[in-house]
Amino acid sequence: MTTVKPILLAEDNPRDAELALAAMEEHHIADKVVVCHDGAEVLDYLYCRGSFKSRQCGNPVVVFLDLKMPKVDGIEVLRTIKNDANLKPIPVVMLTSSREERDLAQSYALGANAYVVKPVEFQQFISAVKELGVFWGVINEPPPEGN
Amino acid sequence: MESATRDRPTTNPPTAPSLPEPLPPQSAPPWVRVLGKKAESLASWVSQWSIEQRVLAGFGLVFLGIVVISVMSYRNTAVVVKNSRLDTTSHELIQLLGSIEEALIAAESGHRRYLVTGDESYLKAYRGIVEQMPEFSRYLQALAAPSGQQERATQLEQLIKQQLDIETDAIEQRATQGADAVRHLALPGVAKRELDDIHRLIADLESAEQQATRTRVLQSAGTTRSTIALLGLGAVLQLVLLGSVYFLIHHDITNRRRVAAELRRRGELLQAANKELEAFSYSVSHDLRAPLRHIDGYAALLSKTAGEALNDKARRYLQTISDSAKQMGQLIDDLLVFSRMGRQEMLHSTVNLNQLIRTVIHDLRLDLQGTTISWTIGSLPEVPGDPAMLRQVFMNLLSNAVKFTATRPKPRIEIGATRDTPGEVTIFVRDNGVGFDMQYVNKLFGVFQRLHRNDEFEGTGIGLANVRRIIHRHGGRTWAEGAIDQGATFYLSLPLKRTSS
Repeated sequence: MTTVKPILLAEDNPRDAELALAAMEEHHIADKVVVCHDGAEVLDYLYCRGSFKSRQCGNPVVVFLDLKMPKVDGIEVLRTIKNDANLKPIPVVMLTSSREERDLAQSYALGANAYVVKPVEFQQFISAVKELGVFWGVINEPPPEGN
Repeated sequence: MESATRDRPTTNPPTAPSLPEPLPPQSAPPWVRVLGKKAESLASWVSQWSIEQRVLAGFGLVFLGIVVISVMSYRNTAVVVKNSRLDTTSHELIQLLGSIEEALIAAESGHRRYLVTGDESYLKAYRGIVEQMPEFSRYLQALAAPSGQQERATQLEQLIKQQLDIETDAIEQRATQGADAVRHLALPGVAKRELDDIHRLIADLESAEQQATRTRVLQSAGTTRSTIALLGLGAVLQLVLLGSVYFLIHHDITNRRRVAAELRRRGELLQAANKELEAFSYSVSHDLRAPLRHIDGYAALLSKTAGEALNDKARRYLQTISDSAKQMGQLIDDLLVFSRMGRQEMLHSTVNLNQLIRTVIHDLRLDLQGTTISWTIGSLPEVPGDPAMLRQVFMNLLSNAVKFTATRPKPRIEIGATRDTPGEVTIFVRDNGVGFDMQYVNKLFGVFQRLHRNDEFEGTGIGLANVRRIIHRHGGRTWAEGAIDQGATFYLSLPLKRTSS
C-alpha cells in the first residue's frame, strides 16, 4: 500500500483509451493507469527501456492488452511476458473486440489470465472496464515482487 | 443390285415419273426396301442405347467372332490331325500288303521246289507264312477298317487261305506219295490262279488307299489354308478389340486426369476464397465494432457532460444515435454467427432434444417477465447432430415464438415431433402469435428478410436463416405454415442416421 502500483493499458485506439479512462475515472482509479499505444511501447515499459528508461522499475498490477496493435501485436506481447520469469507473474487481461474462437484459444494457451470482449454498448463497456479495474487494481492481491 | 435391275420393269420407263410416290423408294425392289427398313429400325434402336451399351454390344460382336473363329480353327485342325493319322494307317496297310505278297510268292516258289526236290528246307517260307497268317489277318483287318476296305480284306484272306490250302494238299501228296505223284503239279505251280487273283486284289487295295490318301491330302491342304485365313481374321479381330480397349481406357484416363486436375484447381480456389472470407469476417468482428463502441460511448459521455443543458429533442437525438449503434452491433454479431455456422466444423454427437428444449426454455424464461406462456411439449427423440448448433436452432425458433406471441392475452407455444417419413423425424414449433401471410413464406428463411416492421417486433432477420443453414448442414429440411393472426408453425426434419456434411 506504500507505493501505488500502476495499471498498464495497452490500447492503440485513442478513443477506446479515452473511453476506458472515463470509465475508470468513476472509480477514481484512472490516475493509476498508464496507457501505451502499441506493443513495442508495452515491452519498453515492462523492461524499463526507451522512453521509460527513467521510470521507477517494478511490474504493473495488471496489464490490459488489446489484440490488434501496431508494431508488436497483443499475442506477441503476451508470449514475451509469459516467457519471461520476471514478468510471468503479472496478470494479463486480454481486452479486445474479437470474439473469434482462435483468438480466445491462443490467448489462453499462452497463459492469459482473463479474456474480455469489449461490449459495443457504452454502459456495458463502462461497467466491464470498471469491474476489471476494481478487481485487478484493488481487490486482487498482486504477486509479490521478485527482487 | 443385279437382281434389282432385273426386277425393275425396264420396258416401260415412262410409267415411273407418273407415279405420285417419290422415286428412290420405288426404284428399289421389295426385299431391298424391307431390308432397308429393318436396318433403319435397327439403327434407330441402336441409337437409343447408351454409350456403355454400344461399347458392350461392339465388344460382344467381336468376341463372338473370335469364338466362332476359334471353334472353326479347332475343327479344321482336328480334321488335319485325323487325316494324318489315316495316312499313317494307309501307309502301314500298303507296307503290310507288300510283305504279305512277298511272303506268298516266296512260299509258292519254295513249295514248288520242294515238290521237285523233296528237300524240306524249301518249305521254310511256306511254314513261316502259315504260322504268321492269323497275325497278318488280324493286322490287315485293323488297318483296312478306317478306310472302309474290310470287304476286300476279307476277300483277300479267303484267297490266301485257298492258296495255302492248295499248297498244303500238294505238300501232303508229295510227302505221302512221292515225287512222281506231284510231278504234274510241280512245274506249272498249283496255286498260280489264286496268286494272280491275290496280286490283283492287293493292287486294288493299294490303289484305293492311295486314292483316299490323295483325297485327304487335298482336304488337309484346303482346311489348312482356311485355318490360316481364319487365324488371320481372328488376329485382326483381336487387334481391333485390343485397339478399342486401349482407345477407351486412354480416353477414360485422359478424362479422369482432366477432371481430377479441374477438381484440384477448384479446391485450391475454394480454399483461397474460404481463407479470404475468414480474414474478412475476422476483420469485421474486430474492426467494425470499435467505431460503434465509440459512437455509443461518446454519445453517452456527451449526454452525461451536457445532460443538463440539453433539451428533450437533443436528448432524443443522442438516444437514437446510441440505439442505432447498438442495433448495428447486434447485426454484426448475428452476421458473424451466421457466417461461423456455415464454416464451423460440425461436432458429431447425439442430442437429446427433450433436454435441449428444456434448457433453452429455462434460458429464455429469464428474459420474460410478466407474460405467462402455456407450454405444451411432446415427447422428443434423440437425434445425431451438433449440440451447440441445434441449441442455436431452438433458441431462435423459441425466442421467435415468444416474441410473436407477446401481444396475445394467452400465449400458447407447442413443441412436438412426428415420424411421417421413415429414417427421419419432424419437429414442429407451433404458436398462437401474430402469424404471417403464406404468400411471403419463401422469404421467411432468407438472410435479412423480415415480415414485420422493426417498431412492431425487434430483430435482425438472421435467426431463421441460421436455422435453415444449420438444419441443411444436418441433412434436414425446414418449412413453415401460418396465417395472419392465426399463429405460425415452423417445421424441421432431421435424419435419424448421420448423413450431414
